Amino acid sequence: MTTFWDIVHLLTGTPLIPIAILGLTWGILGGALPGISASITMALVLPFTYTMDPAMAIALLACVYIGAEYGGSIPAILIRTPGTNSSAATVIDGYEMNRQGRAGEALGISLMSGVVGSLFGLVMLALLTEPLSWLALAFKPTSYFALGILGLSVIASMGGDSLLKGLAAAVIGLMIATVGTDPISGVTRFTFDVPDLLGGVEPVVVMVGLFALTELMSQSGSTSVTQLGNSIRIRLPGWEMMRRLRRSQIIGCILGLFEGLTPGGGGSVAAFMSYNEARRWSKTPEKFGKGSEEGIAAPETANNTVASTALIPLLSFGIPSSNSTAVLLGGLLMHGLLPGPRLFEQNPQVIDSLYVGSLIAIIAQIGIGVIILPACVWLVNRPRPYRSGFIFALILSGLYTLNNSSFDLGLALALGLVGYFMRIARFPVLPMILGVVLGHMVESSYRRSLVLSGGDFHIFVEDPIAFGLLGAALFFIAFSLAREYRDARRTKLQEAHQ
Amino acid sequence: MRKTLTGLLATAMTVALGTFALHAEPLAYPQKVVTLVTHSSPGGGSDVFLRELSKYLGKYIDATFVVENVQGGSGAKAVARVAAAPADGSVLYATTPTYIYTSLLSKPSATYKDLEPVVNLFADSEVIYTRADGPFETLKDVIEKAKKERGRWGAANPASLERQAAEQLKRAAGVNAAIVTHEGGGDMMLNVLNGTLDIGIGEIQELRSQIAAGKVRLLATFNPQRIPEKPDVPTVKESGYDVTLVKFRGLAGPKGLPENVTKIWDTAIKAVLDDPEYKKRYTEEVLVPNFIPHAQYPAFITNFADTTEAFLKETGAVK
Repeated sequence: MTTFWDIVHLLTGTPLIPIAILGLTWGILGGALPGISASITMALVLPFTYTMDPAMAIALLACVYIGAEYGGSIPAILIRTPGTNSSAATVIDGYEMNRQGRAGEALGISLMSGVVGSLFGLVMLALLTEPLSWLALAFKPTSYFALGILGLSVIASMGGDSLLKGLAAAVIGLMIATVGTDPISGVTRFTFDVPDLLGGVEPVVVMVGLFALTELMSQSGSTSVTQLGNSIRIRLPGWEMMRRLRRSQIIGCILGLFEGLTPGGGGSVAAFMSYNEARRWSKTPEKFGKGSEEGIAAPETANNTVASTALIPLLSFGIPSSNSTAVLLGGLLMHGLLPGPRLFEQNPQVIDSLYVGSLIAIIAQIGIGVIILPACVWLVNRPRPYRSGFIFALILSGLYTLNNSSFDLGLALALGLVGYFMRIARFPVLPMILGVVLGHMVESSYRRSLVLSGGDFHIFVEDPIAFGLLGAALFFIAFSLAREYRDARRTKLQEAHQ
Repeated sequence: MRKTLTGLLATAMTVALGTFALHAEPLAYPQKVVTLVTHSSPGGGSDVFLRELSKYLGKYIDATFVVENVQGGSGAKAVARVAAAPADGSVLYATTPTYIYTSLLSKPSATYKDLEPVVNLFADSEVIYTRADGPFETLKDVIEKAKKERGRWGAANPASLERQAAEQLKRAAGVNAAIVTHEGGGDMMLNVLNGTLDIGIGEIQELRSQIAAGKVRLLATFNPQRIPEKPDVPTVKESGYDVTLVKFRGLAGPKGLPENVTKIWDTAIKAVLDDPEYKKRYTEEVLVPNFIPHAQYPAFITNFADTTEAFLKETGAVK
């Protein structure tokens, strides 16, 4: 049992405080560099932890994870480039607010929402790891399939001006997700004998191409680009604003908890789904996509919640739910620590320093954020030619560190071109990204379910979780279609009146 | 950047460890720095294996050991990197069945045939397990169920030794079980624990905590002999199904390594495996030492590759 004095000892007798703050800062920087994902940021510090005390090493890695999940939103808002996969949803309203000259406000909202999510996740982790681990167990392949379909149902309301264009983009995304090694038979598909494609196309390559490179291309093609005001100040949301964001933050917390518990989705799925739910439940859904504060709060709360709740299946079963938690698992194993029920009994000091370290990091996040953000804004405000060149070099070098692969660079450049033409033809890119993110999960769990049932489709309705999720997806699709039909009719009527 | 960082650190560590291990007389080696290449990411299976090993190698070979992670292409890149390196003992690769599978499944520029197997160290234990509160007490129970109705068996990865083990067991027992492949052992373990699958076939290393917690029960091992640490667990062959598989862990280098280099590795690896400290470490990890000297290792690898190729052709994974 952990006593008060154990915690006092942790704070005064060990270097936990500096380690947590260093880890957080490193994480924010790594997360903010586009292309360098949370897992790479963690893998980079892994070698330094070999010689550290195991408890400190694990706390350091967890703090890096917390920082990286937050840091990704900074470039998402400032340069329309998600720093990590899970901040892609933040781009939508974050960059829009930036264009309206409200970057400081957007950065403040993402910072505070991140803190809310991290705190909630940590409380869940500390108090409810055992009771919640059953939820991770309850998820069968059928449930994962249904979860993926629910995620894809978002596309119906994401299409922008045309549902058809949205669906077309999503299908291309799903096609990209099939590249690589077949998850069931092991046959290689669509790799064209290129070994670099064996592992498939990483979502981050697609995001960097479609968001960042496309944005750079269209910026260099246009003569007038909104420059951030030089006097920009980071504005933390006040009580009034936090009250208004409460609804979307609660949605982010719940979905973040849920996604963290179930291996497979990770932060990006949580962020996209809570963005969409926040819009569904919002009092002002029409503001989404046009610079809505709630549109930043929901995904930012969600992905920060995941950074803590993803540790629940990791610590209780030893199952990493994402690349980042896989690195953390590597860290545990390297120190001879076996995740599982016995970890809590045998190594309570590791668990204690993990919790306390995370708490320090979350509190420090507010301070560090306020210090780092003005520097980022200053950087983004440099004259456009320098800035574009800098960003271009930054994202490509970040991407290169992913697999040390120049092939990935070529792929991202090609996708940048695709994104450019999609923008000209007014095809939305978000459905395509969602297709890449979810395609693999949907396909592999669908086929796994059918192998289990011997081809009998009843298996999807026999699992109550899958049945419920599929029902919800169906309802949402029908709802969006009905709304689209009603809107179309209204416009027609109005035209007829004029 | 990562490479340099990792490299620097590994160097620093090896130097530090080397100084207090001076009492033993390390063998002279033609190279000052030896780069140990793995396709696994930092913290992954082979990465941990090489880093652990490099801590002890300095005692027996007079060189500095650096671990380099060359990820991507399921091992294809790492193989290409080693195949192109000078054949002087300065660059070695950590072998696992993965590099054979990748060579066979895709057509990379360099395959396992372009590398020279040096020496083998370990056999990882592939095991069959079930949930502790499930209905199966022995492997026979599982097979009986699969005979009556359709069994549901899990394999950790699609084109892998685990899948091969499952398919061969299915054939040896003459049953029609659904073989459900996963992406990694953790993913599969959940499906065994929640009752979706009757059994899972995976590595014992991934199960250690669940075994300790009493949540899973080992039914059999595919190793030719029982695992010394788990003497109660029978082999698959003893259970009456003629299937044995060895998941190996060893070292390979570029083609044409000089004899003086391979001789040093033969001697050093034998000594490292007997090192009491290292022995304690790897026994904890349930790694079974399986020393195969340079004279026999190439034949072992070729034999493994041939069996694998035949299996992949049968299942339609390659033409």
